[in-house]
Amino acid sequence: MRPEIKPAGDSALLISFGEAIDGEVNARVHSIARAIEKAGFEWLVEVVPAYSSLLVIYDPLKVTCAGVEASIGPLLDTKGETSGGRLVEIPVVYGSSYGPDIGFVAGHSGLTVDDVIEIHSRPVYLVYFLGFLPGFAYLGGMDKRIATPRLEKPRLKVPAGSVGIAGKQTGVYPLESPGGWRLIGRTPLRLFNPTKEPPTLLRPGDRVKFVPIDEGEFRELYAEEWGEGVD
Amino acid sequence: MIELLRVPSLLTVQDSGREGYRKLGVPVSGYMDDYSARIANYLVGNPGNSPLLEFLLAGPTLRFNASSVFATAGDVDVRLNEVPIEPWESHWAKRGDVLEVGTLRSGLYGYIAFAGGIKRERLLGSCSAYPRANLGRPLKAGDTLSPGYAVLTGREGRHLPGELRPDYSDNRREIKVVLGPNLEHFTGEGVETFLSETYTVTPESDRMGYRLDGPAIGHSSLGADIVTEPLVPGAVQVPADGRPIVMMRDAQTTGGYAKVATVISADLHLLAQSRPGTGVRFRAVTVEEALEILRGREKTLGAIEAFLEGEMRAYKVKAGEKEFTAFAGKVKY
Repeated sequence: MRPEIKPAGDSALLISFGEAIDGEVNARVHSIARAIEKAGFEWLVEVVPAYSSLLVIYDPLKVTCAGVEASIGPLLDTKGETSGGRLVEIPVVYGSSYGPDIGFVAGHSGLTVDDVIEIHSRPVYLVYFLGFLPGFAYLGGMDKRIATPRLEKPRLKVPAGSVGIAGKQTGVYPLESPGGWRLIGRTPLRLFNPTKEPPTLLRPGDRVKFVPIDEGEFRELYAEEWGEGVD
Repeated sequence: MIELLRVPSLLTVQDSGREGYRKLGVPVSGYMDDYSARIANYLVGNPGNSPLLEFLLAGPTLRFNASSVFATAGDVDVRLNEVPIEPWESHWAKRGDVLEVGTLRSGLYGYIAFAGGIKRERLLGSCSAYPRANLGRPLKAGDTLSPGYAVLTGREGRHLPGELRPDYSDNRREIKVVLGPNLEHFTGEGVETFLSETYTVTPESDRMGYRLDGPAIGHSSLGADIVTEPLVPGAVQVPADGRPIVMMRDAQTTGGYAKVATVISADLHLLAQSRPGTGVRFRAVTVEEALEILRGREKTLGAIEAFLEGEMRAYKVKAGEKEFTAFAGKVKY
């Protein structure tokens, strides 16, 4: 399938494979993104992949839109490679003050809290891409049985590391921020650290497994990771 | 060293932004008004992308604890040791001097540049503050700044003539856009509404995005939501209520609302400098036209830099009723 190519302003081209949220399409998006990065075009500013589209950002003072299209044309046939990502284990303390909405999720789904933990920590999730906030991973593969609507009124402050559910999605807040997801737990890991290279724990194409831990382990890992006690 | 004595509003260090980390969800950031910021840097003999101070509406009061050359960009009163001095001009400050920058009479963002830039930890390749992710933080009273190393001689007394200063005093302006990339999510009538009506900048606008108010832009049967895709500053997202939100420098890297258009690179600073209440009309241009406009702007900025460096001379030319400035000499751009 050939993608659709459209200008996104005067310094970016959007390459889109439709509206699919699909591991294979996403693998192809990442393979093309890597191929464009590797080609070493001197006009290239950045390539930003998402679910089924990628944005090629260029310096319009060095190349025209048509020039970009001609250069990247042959690379759009690049086949998707599904391997290459790492398996990242994310320890999570579920429930209590770390996941205040886990009871609501259980009630909404007609399950017990233990079921929710079991169902949430069983799959291996795919990191489709990072966006929204630095280090925020769009994960695929959550079990529909625990899908829960967002809060009617978002919280003003969600702690960094909070693990949440919003509709059919699940994810981890990398930074303290406002948020409307149902919080079911919290990881002691730091998902975004600007002093590290790369600054994010997760990268597109990685696979994620949530591993339940208890509060004692959480406190220990937190102190190790952040160099301070949990607030 | 420079000590901040009073910080009345949002004050941050910004440079041309943080490229290369958007795929990790890190916004590009950087100065909201690249045009004014680059001229501020040229006034003190810096490369255009050097780190400088960006203030929102009201400027800071600061004390120089060592000699420096500085310049202010913006329609604002500036005082050095209580003596009024000109903005858009570079001045020499000596140890103990106090600089007071007032409130902008027009526009939203003003700049203070120092010869040699500002020495600041570069995080992910840039000094631009993006406090939400602990990439820098807003400055507060008591903070100190170190200007970068620079030979100060010959950098003071550079003056930008009034007719070359950007004018943000109009409360109506035209912003040029390239239509798309999600045009199929809008009705033809919706696109027509977007291009023919006046939209007003609302107070719910910040470095992340400007929310506009005006007639609703109609979505097609495909609706307002798209599968989340990457976006750039300038992208005009239209949620279900039909009111456009223009992404600015701190915008998230991806978004799930359909985009009717993208503001052209050369005009984004015009929108950035629009106060709440400013009326905005959008005009569609082609990508090729946008590029021509950008090239023209680069040429002007190149000429202004050469003029401030003393490599070119500026002449007033009268053509009919109109007076404008022409440059003569060698241009480097």
